[in-house]
Amino acid sequence: MRSAIPLIRVQRRLEVPRRVSAAVSAFFILLSFAAAALIFELMGVSSVATFGVIASVFTNPNLLLQAILRGLPIGLAALGLSIAFRMNFWNIGAEGQLYMGMFAATGVVLLHEYQGLIAEPLVIVFMVLASFVAGGLYCALSAALKAKMGVNEVLTTLMLNYIAILFVDFLVYGPWRDPKGFNFPLSIQFPDYARLGFVLGSPSYEGLAMLLVVAFLVYGLMRHTTLGFEMRVVGESPEVAKHAGISYAKALIIGGFISGGLAGIAGFSVVSGIIGRLRPRASPGYGYTAIIVAFLALLNPWLIIPASIFFGGLIVAGDLIQASLKLPFAAVQIFQSIIFLFIIAGEFMKRYRIIVSWR
Amino acid sequence: MVRQGKRMRGGDSPEILVEMRGITKRFPNVLANDHVDFTLMRGEVHALLGENGAGKTTLMNILYGLYRLDEGEIWIKGRRVNIRSPRDAIKNGIGMVHQQFRLIPTHTVAENVILGLKEAGFYLNYRDINEKLSEIISFYGWNISPSARVWQLSVGEKQQVELLKALYRKADILILDEPTSVLTSQETTQLFATLRKMAGEGLGIILISHKLDEVMQVSDRVTVMRRGRVVATKPTRETNPNELANLMVGRPLITSFERLNKTSEKPILRVENLRVLDDKGLPAVRGVSFTVKGGEILGIAGVAGNGQQELAETIAGIRKAVAGKIILDGVDVTNKGSLFMIRQGVAYIPAESSKCVAYQMSVAENLVMKSFRYEPFSKSIVMDWDSIKQHAERLIDAFSIVTPSPSTRAGNLSGGNIQRLILARELTGLPGSSAPKLIIATYPTRDLDVAATEFVRRTLIQNRDQGAAILLVSEDLEEIMMLSDRIAVMYRGEIVGILEQQEFDVEVIGMMMTGARRGEAA
Ligand SMILES: Nc1ncnc2c1ncn2[C@@H]1O[C@H](COP(=O)(O)OP(=O)(O)OP(=O)(O)O)[C@@H](O)[C@H]1O
Ligand SMILES: [Mg+2]
Repeated sequence: MRSAIPLIRVQRRLEVPRRVSAAVSAFFILLSFAAAALIFELMGVSSVATFGVIASVFTNPNLLLQAILRGLPIGLAALGLSIAFRMNFWNIGAEGQLYMGMFAATGVVLLHEYQGLIAEPLVIVFMVLASFVAGGLYCALSAALKAKMGVNEVLTTLMLNYIAILFVDFLVYGPWRDPKGFNFPLSIQFPDYARLGFVLGSPSYEGLAMLLVVAFLVYGLMRHTTLGFEMRVVGESPEVAKHAGISYAKALIIGGFISGGLAGIAGFSVVSGIIGRLRPRASPGYGYTAIIVAFLALLNPWLIIPASIFFGGLIVAGDLIQASLKLPFAAVQIFQSIIFLFIIAGEFMKRYRIIVSWR
Repeated sequence: MVRQGKRMRGGDSPEILVEMRGITKRFPNVLANDHVDFTLMRGEVHALLGENGAGKTTLMNILYGLYRLDEGEIWIKGRRVNIRSPRDAIKNGIGMVHQQFRLIPTHTVAENVILGLKEAGFYLNYRDINEKLSEIISFYGWNISPSARVWQLSVGEKQQVELLKALYRKADILILDEPTSVLTSQETTQLFATLRKMAGEGLGIILISHKLDEVMQVSDRVTVMRRGRVVATKPTRETNPNELANLMVGRPLITSFERLNKTSEKPILRVENLRVLDDKGLPAVRGVSFTVKGGEILGIAGVAGNGQQELAETIAGIRKAVAGKIILDGVDVTNKGSLFMIRQGVAYIPAESSKCVAYQMSVAENLVMKSFRYEPFSKSIVMDWDSIKQHAERLIDAFSIVTPSPSTRAGNLSGGNIQRLILARELTGLPGSSAPKLIIATYPTRDLDVAATEFVRRTLIQNRDQGAAILLVSEDLEEIMMLSDRIAVMYRGEIVGILEQQEFDVEVIGMMMTGARRGEAA
């Protein structure tokens, strides 16, 4: 006898070929556009016009440069995450590590402005280094807690996010507030030599170059160095690592340091490339978007670049939709969330099959 | 009780339970099953034989719904079926006992049996369930209690829980994939008695095994596979071990090998009063002392779980000793860690491949997992993939590992080929040194087909003859007596006695494995 309620079961797929995986991702991105279109229509805005705006981001050269710039912090953080995730280290603290990077980069600028300790052309180099170390140490802390005491990294990295965000708040509302800034919670404006784009003329060009270089380095590290080999074995299983004489703690802490360091550089790219100063909530969640980008790109460094530019483009499109179609900011957020949600659903569908039976 | 009635009728006319027709399964670059025909009758034990990588597990995984077939048909009890998942298989009365048990150690026997059972519903009536389970348990003369926790059970008892799971689900088609490779000989005897009884009840049983004498002893029919194809199906009484070996590997077997006895007087490994804790923090090794000389194989006999694994892990530097000393070549190496021991030339073959094989990484990567730090596989910190690949090709050839290429994922290899991969890595010395100084081999021939078993034994003997000290941990008395120069018997974390070669005796060792001291046993 047929019952009115179908029985729904979720079943793990046994084999997931690469091609199926790519097709499922593409299908769900299209599906998310359809769902977004529906919502735009419900709000009384033409979805055709909206998608026209979104498409323009990727066809208009100027807007594409914007997309690259906004994709830069996402891409850098995602490259870092790809390392952590390969080690089964579930770092969801890229956002906090990014804030630590912004803090360190800004610190170098202030140090130079007020103390003048370093030569001007070197400032940007020190900003990159300092942000890398700051983000790296922040993440290595969670890695060390996991390696030595077995503390769950999901909890520690997540909680450290809030501390970092509030710490930056404290600085710009307090000691680092621009004295000539009419009491706004902003640091001083960065001088030109501390801005991305000073050499090649556009922060987008330099940003793209940076993404390519870092992707190359991450690829080289993971594929061609003994450390990368050790990290991949650790990700496979701590027991196997031990059998092979690989130190789990060492690999985890170094890998965590590099992962957080790249998120730190992402923070540098925000203050130096996008905003030009430090302010509260300077990141609209680049570090979280990076998690999705890393997974969507299957942790492949080369795929992370287009994926992050795509998400950078969605942020630019959001700004445009808000301005030109007079939609509230919330609508843009809904749009972006829908895309995220569908991508996550797609990832699920890659791994599982849903079976509906009437019995 | 409908089922019972049906089973009683099983005896009259042989009913075909399973018919697999023209089954073909391809994996990337591998034709794992090539138009395989296979039938299982009601009331028979049907052995499935074949060398490592022949496609036995693949065929059974298809029947149990773990893999989808590419071509072919499956008929069960006269009906064509489409098995898409283990659930479908269970619905069709198929049960499978995997080599790695799928039990939850902290749950009771009863809880493990009903886990995932749809009919169990929300409210569980444990009294009914326990009653039914006890009925089955006493019918087969087992000794487990439905309320015992699984971690308290021995390996053989855990296997009985797996069987119980299938029986409770009213399976009448039972697949066992290499069930005896983890059992002691007594446990094996008991399992076979159970299987015969089940066959008498009208079940059909498919048994995968590499041990020819077992196949001869327990089966009614034998199907031999080779490179994805069925080469023969015969009634067991019309064949013999030699013919089977010939069918499997295409040549007769060599059953004995040259033994050059060249034990040196130099002790390579000395263990003094070693104490080690297990994962739960309880004493596992309780004051063990022995020495192994160069060119000598010391066998460690004992029922699994009496501290052998912890002992082996501690000598390999993977587990910490809480007291005592390990001296290698005159140097105190206690608790120096696994990397140090690898550098000293200590090879370790663990009992479980999951502890030493990275399944997602390639065969080539797994083969250099211990030597990647050395030239030519890496220079300073840069890996040299060309020489790693060449190295892999050499070992694949030397150890006859069946794999489409060195870059295949290790997890895609068949069980026996994974074991060959481990041996290839462990028995090949680090670059620059000829061979390992000390080899700790636990169950080294588990999962291997007859030809590979012979190969491994020969390799171990060769290593010994070249002067290596070998610690051989095994439950297989025949193997341990064939290879060892001396045998230490372990019971509850202690060595109850060490026997010289002229004292070897199955009865005595068997008694000592259950705790009898040497004097009492003899
Ligand atoms: N999931 C998989 N992906 C790719 N290849 C596979 C997979 N499973 C098995 N194979 C390949 O199929 C062939 C048959 O493997 P199978 O596991 O069936 O062998 P087997 O007869 O059970 O061998 P063994 O005695 O070693 O367990 C092997 O060459 C193996 O490498
Ligand atoms: Mg197998």
